[in-house]
Amino acid sequence: MASRPSLKSKPKGKGGKKATADDEDATAAATTVRLMKEWTTWTMKKAKVVAHYGFIPLVIVIGMNSEPKPSVFQLLSPV
Amino acid sequence: MGSSVSQAGAPPPHPPTYASTPPFAPAAADAADAAAAPPPKPHEEEATEEKVDYLNLPCPVPYEEIQREAFMALKPDLFEGMRFDLTKMITPYFALTHSVAMGSIEIPAQGSEVIKVPTSNYEFGANFINQRTMLMGRVSHEGRENIRVKHDITDNLSLKINAQLTSEPHYSQGMLNFDYKGKDFRSQVQFGNNGFYGANYIQSVSKNLSLGTEAFWLGQQRKSGVGVVARYDTKKMVATAQIATTGMVALSYVQKVSEKVSLASDFMYNQMTKDVTASFGYDYMLRQCRLRGKLDTNGVISSLLEERLTPGVTFQLSAELDHWKKDYKFGFGMALGE
Repeated sequence: MASRPSLKSKPKGKGGKKATADDEDATAAATTVRLMKEWTTWTMKKAKVVAHYGFIPLVIVIGMNSEPKPSVFQLLSPV
Repeated sequence: MGSSVSQAGAPPPHPPTYASTPPFAPAAADAADAAAAPPPKPHEEEATEEKVDYLNLPCPVPYEEIQREAFMALKPDLFEGMRFDLTKMITPYFALTHSVAMGSIEIPAQGSEVIKVPTSNYEFGANFINQRTMLMGRVSHEGRENIRVKHDITDNLSLKINAQLTSEPHYSQGMLNFDYKGKDFRSQVQFGNNGFYGANYIQSVSKNLSLGTEAFWLGQQRKSGVGVVARYDTKKMVATAQIATTGMVALSYVQKVSEKVSLASDFMYNQMTKDVTASFGYDYMLRQCRLRGKLDTNGVISSLLEERLTPGVTFQLSAELDHWKKDYKFGFGMALGE
């Protein structure tokens, strides 16, 4: 939960002025855009971490599963 | 090159017409106009131009590899200190690599003084290559990782990913490419981090000449640019010219003297920084060794020798002398299993 992007409170108009329909639509659109940006940033951060730790094991797994299938001993032996 | 362009322009009775060509026609025209001015005149021209079939032109070199012959001779993989590489082929498609390097790293310093710090590095790599897919990863003991991926989605469309990932935040980079290869053209779309977007297109206009253009946008810096390239190649020579709105001008010429010897030269000019460099190099391919050397106008002389002692064992000697900076680098290396 902590890793999720924190949502800022909606910006509210000053005083008691009531927002019109157009303002409401604009606010909703702005919120959607901001949410999309935050989601994209969060996704890219997670993808970077996953790629950093996961890519080498992925190559090894794909290599070990392709034909001809080598044995684990071949993978671990130094020569 | 000007005469070549005019030759190419004069006789086209049936210029090639393809669905994707019309949108790029103005760019190609711009490329031709720009190419007419800067490209160097080739010293050697074919005596008789045979009848050109404009509907069967060859596919051009990828845009990013326009200068690959010059790069081979003028940008060898020089190094300093000791280097040892071990490659273990587990299957014909899958290999693991171990690399150890010890030497000095140059620290950016004020003025012309060169400050070096001894350093050492170990890298582990895993490579998987088959007909449609290439996966290459290298990770160093400090957590720095290099990733290269290439996958052919169809026969004509391929996906490429390049990334450099570090443990420190905000220092990682990534680039995603889509490459499309047509009958006589290539195009590419690029997406990178920090809001980078790029696209390029290169088209064969005659048997030996291809023209290309590119555009890019760096969102974080609010900067955009346009570039054009021209490449003229025959079996014996390759000449290229490149210019961009970033103020960069690059020319190169490579002449194949014989089956074993190539001579290369290039010229780089940056209008923004008023930086200009010319380089001359050679690439000598002998039976068991390859010798490459370079001299440039910054007073740097460099050389790299790679000798195959036995199949699978390669010995490397590297030297780079920067007389103006009094910066001298020597390295020796051994590669097993490649």
